[in-house]
Amino acid sequence: MNEQRMLLSKIKKYDFTLKELNLYLDTHPNCRRALAMFQKYKELRENAADDYSRKYGPLTPEQAYDDEHWTWIDDPWPWERR
Amino acid sequence: MKLDLLDDMEGLILHERENFLGAMEMKLNNTNKDSDTISRFPEKTPLAMAYVPFQQWGETYGDDEALSKGTLFPELDLPFSGGGDSR
Repeated sequence: MNEQRMLLSKIKKYDFTLKELNLYLDTHPNCRRALAMFQKYKELRENAADDYSRKYGPLTPEQAYDDEHWTWIDDPWPWERR
Repeated sequence: MKLDLLDDMEGLILHERENFLGAMEMKLNNTNKDSDTISRFPEKTPLAMAYVPFQQWGETYGDDEALSKGTLFPELDLPFSGGGDSR
């Protein structure tokens, strides 16, 4: 697996964990351990997504950093990847 | 005559129900003492209803395992065993 795919799969895992914690917290809103874990994974996810978008382009339009060129439309699109 | 009989029956059913609830409570209290955990059912849980036990915080999988298992919580990792007798 190349670095780009590794980073993407990391983000996927963080997203899943965050969604699980999200659902748990919906029914246990005062669980400190779940809250702490959510914060931890939120940070991990933010850092990984930041890292990814700087190296390989934006995952969402808000991550298009370039001042001179709208990188959101750059190839390849997800369905164009091998 | 018939009405009297019905009254008796109702009384009997109520009496039976009270006895049963009492026995259930004792049983629940005993199991609580044994395992030293909070009950997953509310106090005085009525019979003949379906309940979903309330999840309590416990172990969690790592993010890697969680995604492949489809849940963050080992307690909820209950693969479908195809409807047959899996025991």
